[in-house]
Amino acid sequence: MLATAIMTSLNSQSRAASRGMSDIKIRNLFIIPTILFLIVFNIFPLIYSLGYSFTDFRASTNAPANFVGLQNYRELLNDPFIWTNFAITAKYVIVSVTGQVLVGFGTAMLLNRDIPFKGLLTTLLLLPMMLSMAVVGLFWKLLYDPSFGIINYALGLGSFEWLSNPQMALYAVAITDIWMWSPFVMLLSLAGLSAVPKHLYEAAAIDRAGPFYTFFRITLPLVAPILMIAIIFRTMEAFKTFDIAYILTSQPTTEVISIRLYKMAFQEWQTGRSCALAYIVLVMVLAITNIYVKYLNKVKER
Amino acid sequence: MRKKVTGLLAGISLMFACGTTVQAQELTIFWAEWDPANYLQELVNEYEAETGVKVTVETTPWQDFQTKAFTEFNAKGSAYDMVVGDSQWIGAASEAGHYVDLTDFFNKHKLNEVMAPATVKYYSEYPSNSGKYWSIPAEGDAVGWSYRKDWFEDPKEMEAFKAKYGYDLAPPKTWKEMRDIAEFFHRPDEKRYGIAIYTDNSYDGLVMGVENAIFSFGGELGDYATYKVDGIINSDQNVKALEAYRELYGFTPPGWAKSFFVENNQAITENLAAMSMNYFAFFPALVNEASNPNAKVTGFFANPAGPGGDQFAALGGQGISIVSYSENQEEAMKFLEWFIKDETQKRWAELGGYTASAKVLESPEFQNATPYNKAFYETMFKVKDFWAAPEYAELLIQMNQRIYPYVTAGQGTAKEALDGLAEDWNNTFKKYGRTN
Amino acid sequence: MAAVRTPSEKALNRLAIAAVIVITLIFLAPIYWITATAFKPRNLATTAPPTIVFQPEISPFVKLFTKRSQLREPPSAEVYAAAPWWERMVFDGGEKVVRDGKGQVQLSGYPSRFMNSLIIAITSTILAVSMGTLTAYGFSRFRVKGEADLLFFILSTRMLPPVVVAIPMFLMYRAVGLNDTHWGLILLYTAFNLSFSVWLMKGFIDEIPKEYEEAALVDGYTRMEAFFKIVLPEAATGIAATAVFCFITAWNEYAFALIMTNRRAQTAPPFIPSQVGSGLPDWTVIAAGTVLFLLPVAIFTFLLRNHLLRGMSFGAIRK
Repeated sequence: MLATAIMTSLNSQSRAASRGMSDIKIRNLFIIPTILFLIVFNIFPLIYSLGYSFTDFRASTNAPANFVGLQNYRELLNDPFIWTNFAITAKYVIVSVTGQVLVGFGTAMLLNRDIPFKGLLTTLLLLPMMLSMAVVGLFWKLLYDPSFGIINYALGLGSFEWLSNPQMALYAVAITDIWMWSPFVMLLSLAGLSAVPKHLYEAAAIDRAGPFYTFFRITLPLVAPILMIAIIFRTMEAFKTFDIAYILTSQPTTEVISIRLYKMAFQEWQTGRSCALAYIVLVMVLAITNIYVKYLNKVKER
Repeated sequence: MRKKVTGLLAGISLMFACGTTVQAQELTIFWAEWDPANYLQELVNEYEAETGVKVTVETTPWQDFQTKAFTEFNAKGSAYDMVVGDSQWIGAASEAGHYVDLTDFFNKHKLNEVMAPATVKYYSEYPSNSGKYWSIPAEGDAVGWSYRKDWFEDPKEMEAFKAKYGYDLAPPKTWKEMRDIAEFFHRPDEKRYGIAIYTDNSYDGLVMGVENAIFSFGGELGDYATYKVDGIINSDQNVKALEAYRELYGFTPPGWAKSFFVENNQAITENLAAMSMNYFAFFPALVNEASNPNAKVTGFFANPAGPGGDQFAALGGQGISIVSYSENQEEAMKFLEWFIKDETQKRWAELGGYTASAKVLESPEFQNATPYNKAFYETMFKVKDFWAAPEYAELLIQMNQRIYPYVTAGQGTAKEALDGLAEDWNNTFKKYGRTN
Repeated sequence: MAAVRTPSEKALNRLAIAAVIVITLIFLAPIYWITATAFKPRNLATTAPPTIVFQPEISPFVKLFTKRSQLREPPSAEVYAAAPWWERMVFDGGEKVVRDGKGQVQLSGYPSRFMNSLIIAITSTILAVSMGTLTAYGFSRFRVKGEADLLFFILSTRMLPPVVVAIPMFLMYRAVGLNDTHWGLILLYTAFNLSFSVWLMKGFIDEIPKEYEEAALVDGYTRMEAFFKIVLPEAATGIAATAVFCFITAWNEYAFALIMTNRRAQTAPPFIPSQVGSGLPDWTVIAAGTVLFLLPVAIFTFLLRNHLLRGMSFGAIRK
């Protein structure tokens, strides 16, 4: 809100007034509203969840919440089912994000050439991520169907079971996710790639550097910062994957942590316990992201 | 930048234009998005024509129905005046005070005589046998079966079937016959399969399916009054029933490990299966040629009997309740008075709703109105339901966790699955202080 | 963009073009399938084997905009003959149009929800991108105490699983009267997108050489003028990419839209799959709703394509 107010005022009369604005004032004007806004929107849910994570509260009843200390955390961390959910999630995140980076970055490398109709092609390639997750889940369930599905029909796979096979289901979900989100990685990589100065390639060519050398020594380091941002956000989102997995399959082998959490919070209404689980998830994502961000900063310093 | 600001202003002014004031003479009923909700909208449109009170049936996709309703209840939201809620909710919703107590209304209108007994027992009364009522039976529903008459009546098939099994091919009277027929028609090479059953474990699909086997095999899920489960849920009948269900899974079309009402109706319309389990509420689409090319050759039968001759089906359906946080409770009461009138119930049935009114159900007009109404009538007097205790969702999830791997992947044995379930349920009841 | 010179490079380029086309086709195949479904007659949507050649129809779009209910038997010949063309399409699908107490045809929730989606997604995108750009600039150009921690805090606001945020958010919104309002969702989506917007914009602005502004400052520009006239145009690619992503997120958000709204501010995503509830889901209507809903984002992206592709234009003078 404040930000738009600033813009409006800047647009017309107050240019003279802003002339005197110090850097510190500008900095505060630019940063503080965002921080305050995010605090307002996040602090209440965070405190609420933390508070209830130490109780046996159920939002669906009128019974008062009893303080149970660390019991929720203890029980969750000792529950083998939960660890299975985490293991599935980890596998899913690795498969899905790796796939997205390979496909997305690879496509960006290809597009970063003299390609006719580049704008149109890029827009078309971005279409999958413009769909809503729920719709993607519904239609991919149809696409994978052994009887009505076009995938088996087109690939001549007969009645191969993608989603009803406990071993295959997680990969099928990951394929859908890769299809949907590779374009995200592609677009960011493309922005990074087109920034690599041409003269660096020319210099490499003069030095008779091989394509591998050029890629690892010139392209990758320069694209790395923006690619890392893409990876950070995709990892965070993949960790929270819910809709696609929930709609596509019923397999215990695809029960990622968000599905468990959803059932706990919204079907069983074990509010306290689900808050505790959410905090465990939060700590894990924080830890993983922290490693990424450290690495990102290192990449940038280079 | 200026463009952005103008855009923003345009957005804001649009927003004010869109905000409409809510009139006093309006009622909102919340239900899931499905055919009966559309029929209900048609019915309440007639109420508006009569009284001038505008009633809106608000809907949300089935998979989010429970989430949305309880989020609203738990925050004491007044967005909905009435809700047509699932039978399992009644414990949770009444104990937490989300529903208005309708006991006086119920007794005044003698609804336990007007409505079919099973619907009163499962949709309205909580706790069991307490004489306290929380909803008016609105949409009766249970699980029934559809089948392909043309496959069953093909002389060549009939002959081959008789030769193989020694009795005539006809809609099954027992689970044993159903198994034989499913096996007989299961021909993956011809892309024809035996039977379609529920397997979706994201909410109550799989459990409802298995209940049909358990109840007909003479089993129970537990004692709903004392919360005793050991020796009941893992009884010998139940083990046999679960094994029978697992066997049927072997005759389902490929990729059948997450199927519910949608897939099961498609099994009939797309020529996949000879028989298909489904709620009666989903059958209207099967008798219209525009939606089911096989409409003329689709027949229906009630859930068959088990080995001991017991014949029960899993209950679906909902009662209509008044939300305690509604600001229009009096108006809602008036609506319910209208809703329970005989004429209204008759009209409700004509529009396609499954009335719970015993009088309408027994009338020949109703029973002959569709090819499945007779099976529905028969079924509604022999139905059983899942736990209605407030912790039903935990019980449901535990049941899914135990039986899904056995039914769809053959992991472990039926006995192991049910023993494990008995233990889970015992622990849950202990945790909530229902048992010692 | 490497210029093509030698014959081997030319061949390589052709190979790349072929590969891009193949990848695009693979990526588009499911979208094509959804689009094709949106024009199929109802009984061809799920057939075994799948139907590939068919006579396209617009009936799914008619159905998308009307409230309908399932018929058990076809309408009588007179009723059918008297019906306008669009109502016949509904009859052909085995359904009838629902009329209200006054006999008026009832519309489905789609058109009004679509409008709500537009208002909410556009406004929240503008907010998220502008706030994000300003904040990113602040972090990029000025010394901020505890910068790393603040940035990590901003990032962390996107880490808590939405499932858990939903209940406290719902209570908070109810307390301040923001539930079921356009502003409620706008602010929420802005909060979602801000972390992404700040981080991505910082990534782009960091790459713009400081020397540009310094030169401008020497020329007598104020810092604000330098920001708006020098930095913003340079950051156009970043702004375009951020706007596209923010718009897509806000446009398609499902869980909060479902929980936080009832009648006034409902958006389209929870409506589209609702057809699944019918005994025989009409996949053609779901597909039609999906395709129409895809159009605004696709057009928005297409209009910004040149900005998206320009890359970080300052590349040439990069250190």
